Amino acid sequence: MKIKVYRDHDGMKNSRYDTFELEPKPGLTVLGALFQFQQNFDDSIAFHYSCRGAVCGTCAMLINKVPRLACRTQVASLLNGDLKIPLSPYPAIEENVEWDSKEEVLVEPLPHLPVIKDLIVDIGKFFDYYKDIEPVFKPADSTPEKERLMDPGSIPELELYTNCILCAACFGSCPIDDSDPEYLGPAALAKLYRFYIDPREENGIERLKIADIPLGWWDCKFHGNCRRVCPKDVPPLIAIAKAREQLEKEGEDL
Amino acid sequence: MIIIGGGLTGLRAALQISNSGLSGALISKVHPLRSHSVAAQGGMNASLGNVPGDDGASDDWKMHAYDTVKGSDYLADQDAVEKMCNEAAATVYELEHMGTVWSRLENGKIAQRPFGGAGFPRTCYAADRTGHNALHTLYEQVLDRNFPFYEEFFVTSLVKDRGRCIGCTAIEIMTGKIHGFISKAVLMATGGFGRVFNRSTNALINTGDGLALALGAGVPLKDMEFVQFHPTTLYGTNILMSEGARGEGGILVNSQGERFMEKYAPNSVDLAPRDVVARSIEQEIREGRGYDEGYVHLDLTHLGFDRIMERLPGIRQIAMDFAGVDPIKEPIPVQPGQHYSMGGIDVDINGSTILPGLYAAGECACISVHGANRLGGNSLLETVVFGRLVADTIINDINNFQKPDILPIESAVNDVESKIKEVMERKKGANIFDVKDEMTELMFQKFGIFRNGQRMEKGLNEILKMEDKLSELTPNNKDLAVNQTLIQFLELEGMLKIAEVVAKGAIKREESRGSHMRTDHPNRDDENFLKHTLIGLEDKNLNIKYKPVTLGMFEPKERVY
Repeated sequence: MKIKVYRDHDGMKNSRYDTFELEPKPGLTVLGALFQFQQNFDDSIAFHYSCRGAVCGTCAMLINKVPRLACRTQVASLLNGDLKIPLSPYPAIEENVEWDSKEEVLVEPLPHLPVIKDLIVDIGKFFDYYKDIEPVFKPADSTPEKERLMDPGSIPELELYTNCILCAACFGSCPIDDSDPEYLGPAALAKLYRFYIDPREENGIERLKIADIPLGWWDCKFHGNCRRVCPKDVPPLIAIAKAREQLEKEGEDL
Repeated sequence: MIIIGGGLTGLRAALQISNSGLSGALISKVHPLRSHSVAAQGGMNASLGNVPGDDGASDDWKMHAYDTVKGSDYLADQDAVEKMCNEAAATVYELEHMGTVWSRLENGKIAQRPFGGAGFPRTCYAADRTGHNALHTLYEQVLDRNFPFYEEFFVTSLVKDRGRCIGCTAIEIMTGKIHGFISKAVLMATGGFGRVFNRSTNALINTGDGLALALGAGVPLKDMEFVQFHPTTLYGTNILMSEGARGEGGILVNSQGERFMEKYAPNSVDLAPRDVVARSIEQEIREGRGYDEGYVHLDLTHLGFDRIMERLPGIRQIAMDFAGVDPIKEPIPVQPGQHYSMGGIDVDINGSTILPGLYAAGECACISVHGANRLGGNSLLETVVFGRLVADTIINDINNFQKPDILPIESAVNDVESKIKEVMERKKGANIFDVKDEMTELMFQKFGIFRNGQRMEKGLNEILKMEDKLSELTPNNKDLAVNQTLIQFLELEGMLKIAEVVAKGAIKREESRGSHMRTDHPNRDDENFLKHTLIGLEDKNLNIKYKPVTLGMFEPKERVY
């Protein structure tokens, strides 16, 4: 098999693709393949890595035209065609590169963020939007001596959103973040909703109003790519639909 | 002040510093949310007493302290253990107050589950993603306070002036530029050195950089021979399969279908402490009762769909993604792997090192709450407790410190620039990655679960040879911006030094205690070795000393589970 990797750094006139051939041993992940590339082919290749266990969220990249975590993606499954995910189209995933999906794995940087070098993108904008929604717990009451009690029944819905690892795969998959680069994006909105539904907060509509702007809740067109690429099954669409419902209800009440 | 490291310890310290009104900054070689704390699964110990013990008894912090000291094989400093266990409940509540979504009991209180070596169901958890939840909570708090972060800066040296630590130098990974940081105090919070071993649950970034920096600045490392091997890491990738899996009722089974832990720990069975279970698994495998590739089974199938989905969804996902096994339907192949570094930078009970101005907390430090073997659920606790308390030490001390002088920082930046220039100008020698692989393989083979003097001596010789090779290594890539090979070279330099410290400490400790099992000295020897190992650099040579263990509430006894 071969791994075909996007290369781009200062001093290069144009980006290019480098292809490296390797043995697809059982269990080989795309991240593992990139390390082989680094060790045996060209040690100037740049890519983010940390946990290698799909929990830290640092290695999201475009793999076979789908945003995924490199550490979680099995090369054998890609070659078998098992990991095809149908996505609503946007420019970065157009078939603009020649590649043989039975033989090759195509690895490119995560879309919608500026490339620093090769597969490393500047995640700054993604975290700026995250910060815009004021992601910090605002309890309704003063601090008790022990824990605030929580109905265990309220936990599963919260966990849907606290499970987000902020890898930005959704951001790189969202057609709206392509056409409207200022759109807050699925992860930030899902995070905002996580605080809104926390029963220990006041649950005030004020929380939701932070994103009650054209480039917030209202810009989503429900393409659903975010949910399909999320490595943690976070459902931003549900958060967005429910938030809109609440805001519309509030509007009617006035 | 400067905090190096953005995991739970670093972020908790940053929060404390920010709340105190002091100015500071946090430097990390990765974005803080990519720190290894995020991977902690099982939980955080605190004697909340929300779940009663077997006979309806209620837990308290002294029982927690007893279990911790016994688990440590009596090498922990009991004053530090007392402090940690006493602060535990407040620490869990504090995270709850900041928004952490802990798993809950029917009555709405924080849920607790049994963990290895603990007399009570004491481990608070957020499903099996406790570290992730705690790290995100603290990150949110620190971000909300606009505490400055220097992300993707790799610290290259600590700067000393007139016997004090006055800052550090760091390479900005994205540009390759060397920066100087000047400060009255530096807190090291860089985590463990698990990646010195090839089979490790640790993130790839856990290369022990902070320990190497402290050692280089003349601060000794303590008890480095005590390396924890977690019993249940996923065969193939060695990703952690939480002890929570056994806490929830999972059992270990060998290839003959036997629940072999009944033989090794008749009372605690699968929930004996990690050192005991890891050795038992390794022995089963060595005696031919494992599966051919070198693993045993962790069986959760009897727990059923609902319990696994509620309590252990994360490890189910990992087992499916990385081993193609669904634990609801079939057992998980597991083998022991390096998991935790009990040893670390020698600090006193307040987190101060012998170098004024330098402090350390969390896994990179050895305040010695874990001694020779850490109990599951105590490391998350340590990070948050001591992130806060050591920050308090700094807040207290800092007014007594003079304003540092900029000149030594400038000169340190020049030194690092020259060193990197020299490394980059070398002619092509051996492959950096090959040397790293050779080291990690050697460390697991010669300084793994079962050790003996002869093999370790051979191992040490190999390490010294590899250190000699360092001066011939150079990246092919000569750009300074985003040169990850250069960063890995700098990590490797530190890792080899750490490997040498582990080796020397392990060779000299002629007894078996906790995680340090010597087949040639199979018994604990309190008469000669109830003491901490200290290894420091003196005139470029590693020098070994010892210091006494602080006893107190609990007299050393034989450890039976």
